[in-house]
Amino acid sequence: MSEIKKFYLTSEGFEKIKKEYKNLKDLRLLKIRGEVPKIWQSEDLNPEYLSFREDLSFLESRIAELEYIFKNVELIKPPSKEKQNIVNLGATVGVEVEGQRDEFKIIGPLEANPSLGKISNESPVGRALLGHRVGDEVIVSSPVKTIYKIKKIRYLS
Amino acid sequence: MKNILDFLIKVGKLKEKKRRGWVLRNVKNPETIADHTFRMAMMSWLLGEQRKLNINKIIKMSLIHDLCEVYSEDITPYDKLLPKDKRQWKEMFNKWPRLPKKEKEKIFLEKYKKENEALEKLILKLPPPLKKEIRNLWIDYEEGLTREGRFVRQVDRVENLLQALQYWKKGKQFAIESWWIQIEELVDDPILLEFIKVLDKKFHQK
Repeated sequence: MSEIKKFYLTSEGFEKIKKEYKNLKDLRLLKIRGEVPKIWQSEDLNPEYLSFREDLSFLESRIAELEYIFKNVELIKPPSKEKQNIVNLGATVGVEVEGQRDEFKIIGPLEANPSLGKISNESPVGRALLGHRVGDEVIVSSPVKTIYKIKKIRYLS
Repeated sequence: MKNILDFLIKVGKLKEKKRRGWVLRNVKNPETIADHTFRMAMMSWLLGEQRKLNINKIIKMSLIHDLCEVYSEDITPYDKLLPKDKRQWKEMFNKWPRLPKKEKEKIFLEKYKKENEALEKLILKLPPPLKKEIRNLWIDYEEGLTREGRFVRQVDRVENLLQALQYWKKGKQFAIESWWIQIEELVDDPILLEFIKVLDKKFHQK
């Protein structure tokens, strides 16, 4: 965590990690007091809790990680109207690839889920699309040269 | 102890279950789910060290990520699209499948539900702490809740790319393009992106 890095989050994603942070702080307090949190006996355990139960230092490191995210978070907001024709973070981009239509939402790594069409802005395709407009042909070259034709850009306010 | 033994006997089935993606592509004597899991755990460990991740957690997560396939099918992204005529399959595999957003969400949820039920059935009689740990590691992996979850999910795809490149290099019986196209959309971890460049160099550049 030595390099300073911005964490781009939607407001929904930001709320989610604020909640996690609060839960972890409560858990740390209980652990320091030597109490067994009731939540561990629940069947609906949040994965975070279980991973940290054996290891207070790891719990501390996750709390520190979240604090680091809070310090460097930047909420994704739709750009001004005149810039809404350019692909930026938070944009939903309609593309044509290999003769097929697809749609991606360009989002930060913390919230990316390619199976649901949410592509990280740090992936090669996410990075390549940023800054382009409708009508542009974006070339992504791995060993395979793939052309993404931008058909549509939209932002949800 | 008996319940752990029963669990291990069931998990042993993954040593025989062939990965469906290769079966569909007629790869001779393809890897099993356990083969993929083994190398994925190794890859998570070796590359995860460089990301200063919780190695204990990512190795366990890799080991359990496909356990549900003891009972559930090995689902591929092409399943919903395969034409009845098998002669058309080869052409279909040349492209990475593209689906509308709603269809993506539907497939994601259906797969999640099926695999979750299969996992629950498999771990049902394990001692509660182990059961909970496996369940929570799987949820973290599936949803990418933590750095480790997001990393292992990407390692899964990179291990698959490595295997695809090895089969492709050997027999060239399928097109490799769709693997590269998907990987450029799925992976954003800097260490894995660096590793992918090494794969490119090893398998494509003379």
